[in-house]
Amino acid sequence: MTFRQLAYRNVLRNLRSYAAFFLASVVSVMVFFVYSMFIFHPLFEEEGLGTLAVRGMLIAEVVLYIFTLFFLFYSMSAFLQARSKEFGVLVHLGMTKKQLSKMIFFEMMIIGSISTAAGIAFGFAFSKFFFMIGREIMELESLPLYLSWKPFLLTIGAFASLFIIISFVSVGFIRTKRVLNLLHGYWKVEETGKSSALLSAAGVGFLVIAYTLAALVDDSTVYMMAFIIPPLATIGTYLFFTHSIHALLSMYRRNKSIFWHKTRLVSIADSAVKLKDSAQMFFIVTIVSTIAFLTVGTLASFTSYTGDYRESNPLSLIYISFEDNENEQEHIRGLTEQLQQKGLAYDIAMMTVKRQTSAASGNEVDILKASEFNRLASTLEHERVDPAKGEGIFIPYSQESLAALNESVTDTVLIESGVPLFIASAYPHVLFPNRTLNANSIIVNDEDFEAIDEPLLGFTEEQSSFNYYAFHVPDWTATLGIGDSLSDKMGQAFETGNFEGISYYFENPGEDYRWFKSSFALMLFIGVMVALVFLLAAGSFIYFKLYTGLERDRQQYALLVRLGMTEKELLKIVNRQLVPQFFLPWSIALLHSCFAFISLQVVWDEFAELSILGEMAIVLAGFTAVQLLYFYLIRWRYIAHLQAP
Amino acid sequence: MPLVKIDDVTKVYEGKVTHRAINQLGFEVEKGEFLAIMGPSGSGKTTLLNMISTIDEFTSGNILIDGIHPHELDKDELALFRRRKLGFVFQDFNLLQMLTVEENLVLPLTLDYIPLDKMANRVMAIADRLSLKPILHKRPNEISGGEAQRTAIGRALIHKPDLILADEPTGNLDSKASREVLELLTAINKEESATIIMVTHDPIAASYCNRVLFIKDGEFFNEIYSDDRRQTFYQRILNVLSLLGGNVNDISAARLP
Repeated sequence: MTFRQLAYRNVLRNLRSYAAFFLASVVSVMVFFVYSMFIFHPLFEEEGLGTLAVRGMLIAEVVLYIFTLFFLFYSMSAFLQARSKEFGVLVHLGMTKKQLSKMIFFEMMIIGSISTAAGIAFGFAFSKFFFMIGREIMELESLPLYLSWKPFLLTIGAFASLFIIISFVSVGFIRTKRVLNLLHGYWKVEETGKSSALLSAAGVGFLVIAYTLAALVDDSTVYMMAFIIPPLATIGTYLFFTHSIHALLSMYRRNKSIFWHKTRLVSIADSAVKLKDSAQMFFIVTIVSTIAFLTVGTLASFTSYTGDYRESNPLSLIYISFEDNENEQEHIRGLTEQLQQKGLAYDIAMMTVKRQTSAASGNEVDILKASEFNRLASTLEHERVDPAKGEGIFIPYSQESLAALNESVTDTVLIESGVPLFIASAYPHVLFPNRTLNANSIIVNDEDFEAIDEPLLGFTEEQSSFNYYAFHVPDWTATLGIGDSLSDKMGQAFETGNFEGISYYFENPGEDYRWFKSSFALMLFIGVMVALVFLLAAGSFIYFKLYTGLERDRQQYALLVRLGMTEKELLKIVNRQLVPQFFLPWSIALLHSCFAFISLQVVWDEFAELSILGEMAIVLAGFTAVQLLYFYLIRWRYIAHLQAP
Repeated sequence: MPLVKIDDVTKVYEGKVTHRAINQLGFEVEKGEFLAIMGPSGSGKTTLLNMISTIDEFTSGNILIDGIHPHELDKDELALFRRRKLGFVFQDFNLLQMLTVEENLVLPLTLDYIPLDKMANRVMAIADRLSLKPILHKRPNEISGGEAQRTAIGRALIHKPDLILADEPTGNLDSKASREVLELLTAINKEESATIIMVTHDPIAASYCNRVLFIKDGEFFNEIYSDDRRQTFYQRILNVLSLLGGNVNDISAARLP
């Protein structure tokens, strides 16, 4: 047996203890590789949704890298600690510190190369599948598989550097100086812990304060709270696991009538010890799970934004022609031709909008003609309006403005033309997106409209009116690509700031909707994959802790069975021990997330006013289901190992 | 010149209560000697052995092994010293679970980067000598306690160390396996004139040695030399033990896992 073989055999014959560790690193490599396949895809070199995808995935890659670094670092140092007895024997037999480092380095390289190779292999095998999902989400015609060395190189480079860093750093954690301490082993029976009363109270206190603040957050404080609550909750969580829990348990233990009851004596005493030495792991698992919930929850709440989109954008295409627009007819003809080509049914309503100043507010207002407005209303199957002479009707620019406008009664005069208007009602539907018309827009009687003959103060006749073309296409999401040349010209003008020759405004809400929808779906897709890695890693921490304590647990159970404990009681004890390990960090993370979402809802209310409750419930329920599955899987394996002869 | 020279060694545990584990202990071990160290629980036997093993430090005094002061060596030199000069046998065997019996045997040579063919030769010779051949490819959890301890002895012998240190080698074995292990150690001592220091609380085990050194409360108490008959030597050991007082058959509490 050569020295290298020693390292190699250490890993290969210990595969069971490395299993969860491998699983998490393989999935991490796989996701990383799939993202890099997207990033280097030749199709994404062009502009468009691709840039968003590439940027999102690049960020995800960085997050994955940093997270995997921490995950591997923690797992590895805990793993090395658990192996300290073995290292003690080796050092006792005369292994130098250098040799020990070399052995661990070899081992790490073996684990690293196996998981990188397996991750890339799985990633490549499934990339066709992920490309299919990506194609559907981004609504691309095709996203073919391609072969390039770049994604391979990036993944191998990233993880090789990662594993090298880890192996160098984790070696530093072994102290060869005290061989006796190493030999003594890691699993000496720990004290159940002297928890400081002050810190226990502080732990609970911090959490309560953080939750209260999160629940009470409002518009004005939300940004300040974003800097206060997370650190407070993090510290609170840490103290809760390191101190508060033990204070609670010892309170429980003091009550002998409860504590000295059947299996409770064993299970509580045992969980107290286990909780103590897993406190840090619990803390990490809680924080990691909270981040995973929040990421996916937030991204999922973006998608609910698209649900409200149609309500505020009921028109399918909007073309507004301003003064000196020579191409007006040509553009409209072009749009109708494109619609016909696509075989889409449509209606056009053309409205002339006049700009005036209102005497009541001193603000500029847009005036629409009742007969023209009614044409649009009837194509959209909304009620018609019939204002009498001298009467006006407000057009709401959003759902919430409707209520306010309904309440207000305005008596005004259009200053330039001297037309008096009495406005006591508002149109009950939002028809025009608020960026296309003035916030103060009024429908007036045809006669009154004709009476407006003076231009807006300080403007020419031409400049004080414009033509609003509203297209209604029943199949509104199918308008993809229509008027792209118009949008492109506008886009260029916005970028360069040179608006010469652009005397129109064009909007294709159907296309925008698709764009929003697919970019949010894309972000969700990226987020879910990262969250998956997070959760697997969190599960792997737990599995790993269980595994390293398995030998000790086995001896203890053997003893208990000898003392006359039935199998049923044994299962009960196992449950009592596993349930807190799995669900304590879990429920704290859930609680954290719930309060975080309460604050998040406030942020959302501010600019999109929609409820994210439904999405949150789905996300949390989904994660809980996954966790339950994981729990039963691990319990099944754990019991099998416990009862193994 | 003696192989091991212990000179006025004292070890003090500093702490809330200062505790003198070893107090001005001095003795010598000749080359080829088989020495047993006995004493009641807490008398400092294991501490003494750990100090000779170079894995524990002492407060004052001197330990000389084969003309070297191991406690003056730096960490790496110390590792090399242990690797080449010393062989260890433990109460709980300390075999590495993921290695086979053969790989456990060869471990000290592996650490020293000995060429493969030389390693193979040595393993075969040792396995033959300790009748480990049939179990060479088994893992430690598949073999009996006696076999495990024979493997550990093989591991302690394979690099032909100058000194073998055994800490309660029969503590975890039944009487038959104990006898086998002790006869093996005696044979190695006689045939290969290996020097062995063994810590034990078992008078039967001690009766296999050339000399038994008794310590009490960290201090030298008595020593007796073997005579021709093991049976009478055993009786004399028992006599000293009864003088020593304390329940020598106590398993030291510190050893429970």
